[in-house]
Amino acid sequence: MLPRRVFQFFIIYFLFLGGLMALKYSLALSDYVIPAPSGMLHTLIAEYRGYSLATLNTMTVAVIGQILSVFMAFVIGITGRQSTWLGSFIKVAAYNFQAYPIVALAPILFILLGDGFMTRLLIAAMICYFPVLLSVLGIMSKPVDDIEHFYRVTGRMRWQLEVKIRTFENLTQLTTVIAGSATLAMAGTIVGEFIAANAGIGYSIRIALYQSDLGKILIALFLIGITIAIYQALLESLGAAIKRAWTGR
Amino acid sequence: MHNKTKTLILPACVLLVMAMLVTTSAQAGEKIVYRLKWLRNVSVVGALYAETHQLFEKAGLDVEVKAGGPERDAIRELELGYADFGEASADQVLRASAKGSPVVVIAQVFQVNPLQWMYRPEEMQIKNLADLQGKVIGVTFGGNDETIMNTMLAEAGLGSSDVSLFSVRYDYTPFYRRKVQLWPVYRNAQGPIIEAQLGKAGEKTAFFNPAEFGVKFVANCVVTESRTLTEKPYLVKRFLAALFAGWQQSLDPKNQEEAIKTLQKYDPDTPRPILEEQLKITRELIQPNTAHAIGTIDEKGWEQTERIMRAQKQLPMEVELKVILKPVDGVAEQGNPLL
Repeated sequence: MLPRRVFQFFIIYFLFLGGLMALKYSLALSDYVIPAPSGMLHTLIAEYRGYSLATLNTMTVAVIGQILSVFMAFVIGITGRQSTWLGSFIKVAAYNFQAYPIVALAPILFILLGDGFMTRLLIAAMICYFPVLLSVLGIMSKPVDDIEHFYRVTGRMRWQLEVKIRTFENLTQLTTVIAGSATLAMAGTIVGEFIAANAGIGYSIRIALYQSDLGKILIALFLIGITIAIYQALLESLGAAIKRAWTGR
Repeated sequence: MHNKTKTLILPACVLLVMAMLVTTSAQAGEKIVYRLKWLRNVSVVGALYAETHQLFEKAGLDVEVKAGGPERDAIRELELGYADFGEASADQVLRASAKGSPVVVIAQVFQVNPLQWMYRPEEMQIKNLADLQGKVIGVTFGGNDETIMNTMLAEAGLGSSDVSLFSVRYDYTPFYRRKVQLWPVYRNAQGPIIEAQLGKAGEKTAFFNPAEFGVKFVANCVVTESRTLTEKPYLVKRFLAALFAGWQQSLDPKNQEEAIKTLQKYDPDTPRPILEEQLKITRELIQPNTAHAIGTIDEKGWEQTERIMRAQKQLPMEVELKVILKPVDGVAEQGNPLL
């Protein structure tokens, strides 16, 4: 899974670069508009270490943010699955909050909490939390009648069993949602850093933008892309391993 | 066959006439795009005035003035053909030129860089650059204020451990809360607003201008592509003449009412006394003395800017200033001969 993901990323990235180069040379654009391959290589050598550390910094925040948001989404999703007043209230609240652009709230968070680790973590968690919550709510609210009926009529159904059945039956979907939310967490962290933080790859991109240096931005995009590809592949492998352990296959 | 030819000739003729009409009208009123450096505010009042008072039209030009912003880069737009003229800071021009961009500077808008640092005079007195020692100074990392501040610290013989640099954002709270002692602002645009806010709280403010300590870093300039200058010199001259007329008229105290009206059109929320103060300061930055014609390119300032950027490793090589500085004869000195 991992080599395939990385290989797919390389194809996409180099197709994108190829497109840029085709544009550059066909329109005779200067290195200021689109850097030459030699310039990019030079930038890569010069910035590789600093940008790799910044990407890892961002990734750490994104992973912690994602774990928090997935945990929260499951707690709220499991509570909100019931057709009680509380369950319906949680669903309505989740759908309404989803409508607010978190990016618009980010500057307020930075003013209130400062531009440190906590604010970046909060933005990352908030950006990936709601899509995960909506998926978990959807999955947990939908009964698996074929299986659940037996436990209900025999009076052996408990909420833990209900959650277990619905999780098991939708494991592939949940794995896909969680792996997908990794991209959201990373994007959320980068956006937060871009707006106001003082660390991470988003902050480095902002500085590169101030310096009108597209070469640095392309290197940053490469590192972000490859890191996300690896992380997503690891999450998918983890999902597959859990499924194997549960099914015994 | 004969009828078929006839039916084909007629639409072909119509299409040809239409094409000729379109081409002719495009030549007559050729659309020109002028990309500003920043949003529509007092720093670009000359261009706004020229636009709202039809000075471009009077010069026979159809100019669209487009607002700039942090994500806009006039030099890139010139090269990609999205703009014909633009406003860019000297550091942008030098970086672009070092990377082979065919950009040329045809006029310099600000004679004094509006980027200055605000501070509370009760907290400190800055009589020389060494007074910066031990201070918490706001800078935009990656921005030209960082380059300017690093130059001043180097001039004062101060290292990074002698001051504390604070990463600046759009939010001024750290300065209001006295967490940061010197905060970078655009003297003419943000300066009067923050000054008024602090004034309400009974706090006094002062501005630290690097140019007063010998550090000149050129700010916004009017740029175009070298090809435009060589192939359409008449167009460049007409454009600059109309633009300078806008600057001259908007900064003339006699036209203050009109200039304020122009600004209020784009910035209705800023109180009038602040707009008046912004205009007054802008006047001093654009034309510090009447001996200086509006738009004059300060070659010495450019030389120092280039030296500073090389010393701060912002430029990989020496940039030939003669190639990029192309003052347009007879426009800055005479004002607008066409209007």
